[in-house]
Parts: sequence; C-alpha cells; structure tokens
Amino acid sequence: MKKALSTLLVTTVMASALAACGSNNTNTANDASSNEAAEGKQKVVAWAWDPSFNGKALNIAAELYEQEHPGFELEVVDMAKTDLEQRLNTNLAAGVSEGLPDIILVNDPNIQKYVNSYPGTFAEFTNSNVDFSQFSQYKVDALTVDEKIYGIPFDIGVTGLFYRSDILAEAGYSAEDLENITWDEYIEIGKVVKEKTGKYMSTINPNDEAWTSILLQSGGSWYITPDNKGNFVNNPVMTETLRLYKAISDSGIAKPVTGWSEFVGSFNAGDVATVVSGVWQIASIMDAADQKGQWAVAPTPRLNIEGGVNASNEGGSSWFVLDGSANKELAMDFLGSTIGGSSEFYERFLTEAGGVGSYIPAFSSEAYQQTSEFFGNQAIYADFTEWSTQVPGISLGMYTQEAKDALKNELPNILNGADLEKSLANIQKLFEQQVQ
Amino acid sequence: MKKSSLIGWQFILLPSALIMLFSFYPMIQSFILSFESGKGNVSEFVGLGNYTRLLSDPIFRQALFNTILYLIIQVPIMLFLGLIIAHLLNAPKLKFKGFYRTAIFLPCVTSLVSYSILFKSIFAVDGIFNKLLLNMHIINEPIAWLMDPVWARVVIILAITWRWTGYNMIFYLSAMQNIDPSIYEAASIDGASKLRQFFSITIPMVKPIILFTAIISTNGTLQLFDEVVNITNGGPGNSTMTISQYIYNLSFVYTPNFGYAATVSYAIVIIVAILAFLQMKVGGDKK
Amino acid sequence: MRALGTFFKHAFLIAASVISLFPFVWMLIGMTNTSSDIVKGKFSIGSEFTNNISKLFDAAPVGSAFMNSVYISVIGTVLTLLLCSIAGYGFEIYRTKGTDRLFSVLLLSMMMPFAAIMIPLFKLFSGWGLLNSALAVILPTMTTAFMIFFFLQNTKSFPRELLQAGRVDGLNELKLFTRVYMPTMKPTYAAAAIITFMANWNNFLWPLIALRTQEQKTLPLVVSSLASSYNPDYGIIMVAIVITTIPTVLIFFLLQKQFVQGMLGSVK
Repeated sequence: MKKALSTLLVTTVMASALAACGSNNTNTANDASSNEAAEGKQKVVAWAWDPSFNGKALNIAAELYEQEHPGFELEVVDMAKTDLEQRLNTNLAAGVSEGLPDIILVNDPNIQKYVNSYPGTFAEFTNSNVDFSQFSQYKVDALTVDEKIYGIPFDIGVTGLFYRSDILAEAGYSAEDLENITWDEYIEIGKVVKEKTGKYMSTINPNDEAWTSILLQSGGSWYITPDNKGNFVNNPVMTETLRLYKAISDSGIAKPVTGWSEFVGSFNAGDVATVVSGVWQIASIMDAADQKGQWAVAPTPRLNIEGGVNASNEGGSSWFVLDGSANKELAMDFLGSTIGGSSEFYERFLTEAGGVGSYIPAFSSEAYQQTSEFFGNQAIYADFTEWSTQVPGISLGMYTQEAKDALKNELPNILNGADLEKSLANIQKLFEQQVQ
Repeated sequence: MKKSSLIGWQFILLPSALIMLFSFYPMIQSFILSFESGKGNVSEFVGLGNYTRLLSDPIFRQALFNTILYLIIQVPIMLFLGLIIAHLLNAPKLKFKGFYRTAIFLPCVTSLVSYSILFKSIFAVDGIFNKLLLNMHIINEPIAWLMDPVWARVVIILAITWRWTGYNMIFYLSAMQNIDPSIYEAASIDGASKLRQFFSITIPMVKPIILFTAIISTNGTLQLFDEVVNITNGGPGNSTMTISQYIYNLSFVYTPNFGYAATVSYAIVIIVAILAFLQMKVGGDKK
Repeated sequence: MRALGTFFKHAFLIAASVISLFPFVWMLIGMTNTSSDIVKGKFSIGSEFTNNISKLFDAAPVGSAFMNSVYISVIGTVLTLLLCSIAGYGFEIYRTKGTDRLFSVLLLSMMMPFAAIMIPLFKLFSGWGLLNSALAVILPTMTTAFMIFFFLQNTKSFPRELLQAGRVDGLNELKLFTRVYMPTMKPTYAAAAIITFMANWNNFLWPLIALRTQEQKTLPLVVSSLASSYNPDYGIIMVAIVITTIPTVLIFFLLQKQFVQGMLGSVK
C-alpha cells in the first residue's frame, strides 16, 4: 500500500516537474514564419479548407502580390473546415501561439464567437487602407463587432433558385413564372411539377438548417437577436419560416435526404427540379455534364410578409489575420491589396476557381458579365451580384450554432403537427438553457 | 516474498509513470477546469455551478439516455455474436476459416468516412434496405430510417455492431487458442457433448477476456462519437446524440465552454467507473 | 445430422462475411468511378481507376503521409507491445493489494474522453517543443491502460508451472519474462499487435492537433481534408481510403496465423 502511494507521489511530482520545466519554453517557441522572416524572405502561412477554391484564391492573390513585392512567399496549409476549427480552438484555449498561422479562413457565423471568446486574437482592419464601402454591406456587417472590423470579406453565398428549365417547361412553366415568386407560389408550382413530371421539386433534410437560415435572412431576421438573445418567440419571420417548412414537408414535393452526398446526388441524378442554394453550388450542379443547357437561375423565393425580399445568403467566409503573428503587417498588407481591393483578383477568382466575391467594383467586369452555356446562356453572375445588393444585413451573433441545434431538436415535433407557438416557446427555453 | 514484490514494481513502474504523466496530469487539469465556466479564454470560477447545471441540463439528459440505451442493447448482442463466431472459427477442422476470419474482421478497418456514406445510402428512404424489405413483404411502406428517432437509433446500433463484432471476435479467438486442446479431447472421451464443452470448458477459461471485452465495450459505447456524428449527426432532433458528441459540441461547435465540457466529461468517467467496478465484482476472480 | 450442423455453421458464417465485406467491396468499386456516379449509387465497375489515382497524388501528399503513418504506427506498436506486456505481466504475476489498487487507478485513465484532455496535453507538448513531430504522437499513446489490461487478463490463463520450471532451470525474473512468457503468449501478442497497429494507424484527433505542417501529416488527416471540400471528389476519396485500409489488412493477414498455433509445441 505504501508502495502504491509513494509511486503515485513520485510520478506525480515527476510529471509536474517535467511539465513545469516545459512551460518555460512556451514563450521562446518560434513559429515557422518568424524563422523565415529572419532569413530575409517574406513568408506568410495561411490555413484554409478546399484547395480548389479557397486555397486557389490565396494563390491567385499571392501571384498578384508578388508582382509588386518580389520575394513574397505564401504557404497554404489545407485541412477540413471542422479540423481547422479544432486546431484553432485548441491553440487559443491552451494559450499557445506555436503552430498558429498568420492568416486564417473563418466561416461568417463563427466570427463573433471567436472575437468574443478569444479577445485580442484577431487583427483589426478598421483603420487599414481597405475601403470597406466597396464591399457588399451585409458581408461587412458580419465582420463588425463593437464597431471594429476584424477581417476581409471573401466569398459570398448569395442564393438563387437554380432550376431545371426542361422539367419546369414540361410542367408548363416558363422563366417568367419563376421570377420573384413567394414560397407559397413555389409550393403550388412544385405540386404541379410532381403531378405532371413525377419529379420532386426539391430536397428536404431535417438535420440541416441551411434552408431555414436562407428564409430567415431573406426576411431580415436570424435565430438570435443582435444582442444574442433567442429570436424564436414574437418573431413573425421565424413563425412564417417554420410554417412554410411544415408546408413543404406536408406537400410531398420535397425528397427527404439525410446527408450532403445524398443531397448532391439528388440533383446530379435529376431527381429534383430545383435547388435553392448559394452561388457556390454551381460547381456541384455542373458536375452532371449531361445536364448542360438544362439549368437556369431565378431569384430566391420570398416570404410573403412585410420585409421579405427575393434575396438571401447561405454560407460565405472571410479572411482573418492573427494579431500575435510575427508577420502581421505583411499579412494584412497582402490581403488588403489583393482580396481587399483588387478587381483583377476577383475576375481571376471567378474565371479560374468559379468563386464569387463581394467586391462591388468587380461586378461590372467582363468576367462577371459572362454568360454560361450550362445555364442556358444566362448571365448568371450578373444576376447573382445584382441580387447580392438586396440581401438584408443581419447580425449573426455568437450563439448561432446553439440556436440552430435548439431548433433542430424541436423540428420533428413541428413536422408531426405540434402547435407551432408551443414549439417555438420550447425552442426558446432550450436555447436559453444552453447559453448560460 | 518481499523480494518478489520489489521485482514486481520494477516491471510496472515505467509504464505506470508514463500513464500518470500523459493521462492523469491532463485529467487533473481538466478536473480543475470543470469548476470554471465562460466562453473561450474568458472564464471565471463557478464552484459547483457546472455540476448543478449538469443535473438539470435537458440535452445532457437526452444524450445520457441515448448513450445508456446503446449500451444496454448493443453491447450484449455484440459480445454474444463475437463469442459465437470465435467459437465457430476455433474449430480445427472448419474449412475456409481464414477467409471468414478476415472477412469478419474487415469492418474494423473499413474507413469511417466510407462506411458512414454507405450506411446513409443503404438506409435512405429509397435505399436498398427498404427495397429489400418491401420486396420480401416485411413492410408495406418504406421506413424513413434516419428521420425517425427510434429507427435512427436502430441504424446506429446496427452500425456499431457491424463495425466492432470482428474486433471482439479477435480477442476471444486469441484467448481460445490459449486453451490446451487436450482438455477438449479428454472431455470428449469422457462423453461430454460439444455444447457442454463450450459451457464448461471454453467459457470459464475465457472468462477473464469476456470481462475484458465487457469493460472495454462499455467504455467504448459510453464514449461513442464517430458513428453518431458521421451517420446521423445526433439527429433527428437530438435522438441519437451521445455524451461524447455533446462534449465535442461544447468545445468546438458552440461558443466554447471548456469548463462545462470538462464537467460533462467527468460525468462519463464516473459512470464508466461505476459500471466497470460492478462488472469486475461480478466477473472478476476471487482471491 | 453432422452435415446439417456444418451446413448451418457455414451458412451463418457466409452471411456474416457478406454483411461484413459488402461496404469494403463498395469502396473498391467506388475507386473506379467518377464522383457523381458514386453519389448516384452506381454499383458497377467504371474506368476511372487510373484517373482517380493520378488526381489523388496531385491533390494530396499521399506518399509522405503514408510514410509518416507507417513510421509512427510501427514504432508505436512495438513500444506498446513491450511496455504494456511487461506491465500486464507484472500486475498479474507479482500481484499485491498495492498493485491492484494502482491498476484500478490506471484504469480510470481510459474512461476520460480524449477531447477533454486534449488541450492540457497540447500545452504540455508545446512546452517541451515537441509539437509537429512523430514523437508528439507516439509518446502519449504508447502506454495505455487498455493494453495493460489486455495483457493482464490474458496472463491469468498463463500456466504458472512454466515459471516454476524456469526458475528451477536457473532463469532470473527478467529472463522468465522474455524466454518463457513471451514465446508462449504469441497469440496474445499477435492480437495486441493487430489492435494496436490499427489504433495507431487510424488515430485521428490527436495527430490532427499535434501535427501542423503538410510534411508531417498522417493518412487519416489527408483523407479528412479531401472529404471536406465544397465539392468533394468521392472517386479520389475512395482511392485514398483504400490506400489507408491496406496496411492494416496486410498486418492482419500476416499475423493471423498466430491464432492457429495456440500452445502446440510450446515449452512443455
């Protein structure tokens, strides 16, 4: 028994000693970029996901920047989005700067969460030479916390109603019939489409709240209020959104899917006639090469209530710079002069990576005015950027994920016909419980 | 006797110290953290606040219920299946043993990403499984497996069982291989049937490993994470969510509250420890 | 009658095998198809195999990730077998009330979800300057209560008479372990090797946090990056997954003969 205790004691002391002598080194640990800077090279490290889109964008920006600043080097470390969030949180929570990059890609709904949870971590761009008035206002709104702007807007998720013009035509609908419709009209059209062509109008995934997010933003609302309270009760936009959700589910026009690959599979296989999603969905839609020329895009359907518009947003991210990075100024200058203000960047981003940015001066460029054969020769980017000017700006708050999960929890009940007001009150309560 | 116990300590000292350093040291830090609450780095001491919050947390209760449900249903089925299969494969004269062994082991190494995509597609509303059941007239309408709270849990249980039965089979097989075949021969000569031999020879001699797999599976199921996140993502609603997923959400998905996450983690430790203690009392050796 | 029993045995095992193999076969078929075909549920062999392979090697550092995984897994497994078997043996053969208590405490370490100790562990390794190295992954995982427990339980059926015989022959305690115990327990070591190699090879969360640069990545990290783009290419993901699966299957093939040997011909 004594032996057991003394072993425990000895090893715990050893462990603490080892750990303590280790922690003295934390301050002297260098990260890769500061080593490079010492060698005279100008190197910046960035974390991003999806090398064919985000990584590509950074590399385009680096090429442009190198023209004016020879010797500049960019390293993009590619990882999954959730992995990036895990690494970032672990570093910041451990108070360790080793291993952190200079530049990081952040999904817009996470911005306030990071800024408020890890104060002083992200560099402010408020007084930099980036002209934020040249960007879609709602993107800049997402980046602003307490009047300070924390990053540079990147890709935009302006939504549209992608539809199969051939299937809609078979059901008797032309492009005009889909312009600026309400969701109730959408449902009616969907029923006719199902009847006449046998195809579903869209997919529905009760585990994914992308659809409710799109509707809420189109009505100028969100799951939480600007001061981070639950926005489920006394919110006509929320009530209308959920009423429509149940209506679509009941109407039989939506094909139930349970995951991303099933969702993409549905339109690739031609099972659904429409997809309401962000502009970045274009790449996946175009994967079905045999559907060339059969797609078109109309404005997003709107909520039939006051303040409802035919425009919304899904997703989108922004570039942040870490305030503690040794190459902070370089990173900020790099981002600021390319993604923060170069029309050439945005044109190349579109033509080479299919990415749509929120930089308004680029909207009138040739690239953005091009027509797309796949989409029946429609000038889709011109349309999307036009709609982006109408997207209501909202505050995404700190607790988006908690609010979404509280909603998801109650969705099965709502779909089964529970009293909507009661359900909303339940969601509100659950949300408040979560954000103590 | 004293000399032998000194030698014994020499055998176990280094490995124990390593576990102390790499597991207990962080565990203690986590325990201290469980008394703080806040967001990210902005947290404050709240004493037992997290623990009281835990007791009235509806999401934790749901996660706990789900996790225990998986435990009670899935673990016994899986261990029983593993035992039967190992026994069948232990027979010296069975043909194609190697093939069966490899095939049944493969699910353990099939990548999580790939089999979760596959399970989702098999159990989709228009997926193969429904088609099979409809064709065999077992059901009249396709079941919305992943959208119904009860059926979604069934899918998770099927997925875990599919994945880990082979794993446990390996443990049992290697233990059965340690049994001297002459014991079986002697029993046969004495007239004992194969079934009798299984219950009177095999099971008792494999008992320590059965206890091992019981504790390990209990531990694994209570910490279940991968399948739930990749196949159903805790849904529909929160009906398949597990405690581990909740901890992960609290740390990396929601506005991070590492203190509360630590508290929930210790809830798992306590539950597993109690169950392990009970299992050892029931199935351990008496000395 | 005997034939009927055998028939049912085989029927059961075949059913179990088919169910087990099916997703694996699907993976292999997926390797040969395009992403959109896979998503649509195509179950026939396509012609995209070589295409997918070259796209994969362009898209991700598969070669270096493979070598990193091999290095970490092999070294980690060898160390684990040594450290945990010696401890399991020690806890069982030299069992005292004190060691029993210590073991119960060690068992607790298995019960903590890794996500909760990840951050303190990260701080520890950062302090030692070991982040982004193979050592960062090997050190915390080479001794586990799980494996010690495994060896401990298996040692309970180890015949002590062999130890007595060895002592009579003049072997010291360490030699008893290496000359008598280790050869006899080959099936246990084989099972432990397979399980440990698999765990190390597929380890994801800690390597994700501890390894930071492209050159240090292990295979599971590579697969994760591939699977999470906005427009994942499932064809190359399937190839990556099969590459990731092969080594463990290989180790299983090589070691499974040990399951057949048992105690025939061991020290008697």
